[in-house]
Amino acid sequence: MNRKKERGPAESPEFEPAAANSNQPNLDDPRVVLTLLEADQVVAEKRQTRFGRRRLSPRVRVLLWGLRSYVVLMLVIVLIQVLRAMRALP
Amino acid sequence: MKAPKDASGSAPYRSAHPTTESAAHSSEARSLVGLLTHEDRDRARDRWRVTQARWKERRSKAFGGISVLWLLVGPGVLVFLGENDAPSMLSYAATGARFGIGFFLPFVALTFLMGFVVQEMTVRLGAVTHRGHAELIFDRFGKFWGFFSMGDLVLGNFLTLVTEFIGIRAGLGFFGIRPVIAVGVGLAVVLAAITTGRYWTWERVTLGLAIFNGLFVPAAILAHPNWSAVGHAMLTWTPLPKGNQSEILLLILADIGATVTPWMLFFQQSAVVDKGMQPRDIKAGQFDTLLGVVLAATFGIAAILATVPLFHHGIDASQFQAAQFAEALEPWIGHTGAALFALGIFEAGIVAAIAISTSSAYAFGEVLQTGHSLNRPLRDAWPFYSTLMGSACAAAGLVLIPRAPLEFVVLIVNVIAVLAMPPALAFLLLLVNDRDVMGEYVNRTWDNIAGVTVAVFLICVGIAFGLATLFPKWLGG
Repeated sequence: MNRKKERGPAESPEFEPAAANSNQPNLDDPRVVLTLLEADQVVAEKRQTRFGRRRLSPRVRVLLWGLRSYVVLMLVIVLIQVLRAMRALP
Repeated sequence: MKAPKDASGSAPYRSAHPTTESAAHSSEARSLVGLLTHEDRDRARDRWRVTQARWKERRSKAFGGISVLWLLVGPGVLVFLGENDAPSMLSYAATGARFGIGFFLPFVALTFLMGFVVQEMTVRLGAVTHRGHAELIFDRFGKFWGFFSMGDLVLGNFLTLVTEFIGIRAGLGFFGIRPVIAVGVGLAVVLAAITTGRYWTWERVTLGLAIFNGLFVPAAILAHPNWSAVGHAMLTWTPLPKGNQSEILLLILADIGATVTPWMLFFQQSAVVDKGMQPRDIKAGQFDTLLGVVLAATFGIAAILATVPLFHHGIDASQFQAAQFAEALEPWIGHTGAALFALGIFEAGIVAAIAISTSSAYAFGEVLQTGHSLNRPLRDAWPFYSTLMGSACAAAGLVLIPRAPLEFVVLIVNVIAVLAMPPALAFLLLLVNDRDVMGEYVNRTWDNIAGVTVAVFLICVGIAFGLATLFPKWLGG
């Protein structure tokens, strides 16, 4: 798949003068903080947004149930092995 | 897209979508101004350093790239050196002592390649969505599948954490240090690492500790391995292991479990988010993961080579624990070599205990939707830090219980990790192919072929293990 070419650093929003042209950022200034972070990196923004449930197709449901059954079965087998090992102890 | 609901199914939320838009340019910028937290400011400080480094990189091409990489490496190296933990190093040691130089050297390298395939996807997921793995599973698949996934993680993480403290106890036991003091020292280091209140400091301190995983390299050199045999084995995958097929299968499973496990997915994705990585950092994140793979594979193979003298001298190491390996090696690699081996096991336990307890804490914080960042002060994110400290304290306490059947935990922990991996991989592949979540950063065809191959391989090995356990006579057990 062709991905969009990434923007060069100079053109990226991260390179706002407020952030890049200072020796120390003034992080008490909320504009500087917002300039440096992506929109969905801000904690308050993340709290208000969700990707939401995806619709699971029958194939995906079968896959997930199959793998879940596999894990349960395998854990039973591990338990059998542990019990055997404990019985073999002197 | 319809407005999604929260985990309880009541309050509506705005739809999230993959974006690289600066927060300052978003439509919500005005409302966010008064809502910034300590965590946001710390993350912004980290981003500013990356910004400065990139800016300098453009002005002076010579070493600019190195400083950007220095700032962005961390989660990948930590996850792989964290997974080179006490039971993993013991499983490598058992491999070297039982089968010497041969098939298992390239096989271990292959397992690390599988590890790269899997972990690289978590870098993209974290950098694009800025959300942890548990949070995304609950968000996209709902509570039902989310709790299943968390169940696997909690069980695997707690058992693994117990084995880390067994490693810590055994490693220091070689030097005559009493178990209660050894475990206390381990616990103190884990707790000290989180008092920084800053992801960056925590990451650098843990990286500083993790690099001592390299102690297995001088231990291997002191074992004077036959380098031409090593080269031959790496190229030809021979000699093949001979003997009890069940035992070989168990070691294969343990060696895979030493490289690909569910906690690694949860940890690296959350660490990438906590570090504040963005889509433009994905290449650096991939480099970080590759660096972790190379370092961990080198140190893992060194642990195999260090114990090869036991194979050559016909010493039965099948029931050995960490300190016993070091003691048995002393006549062949000297006191220094044995001490390095024991210290390596101690270090492996410490770093993994830090990483695994943090992985549990991240996942709990994401599921409970409370603060879950190492950039948060203790008072702001006490459920996060309580989970971290609680899991570490419980595991440490269990190790000190007299006559607790800990040898079984060591025996099965890597096996459980491998068996729990296929469903974790299925969620990972579904998420990383989800265009609503990943946008243009979805998996490419080759990423999917590699990911599905790893999952199918793990399922086949698991089924073979199951058959060998249920019908041992089939494999001559």
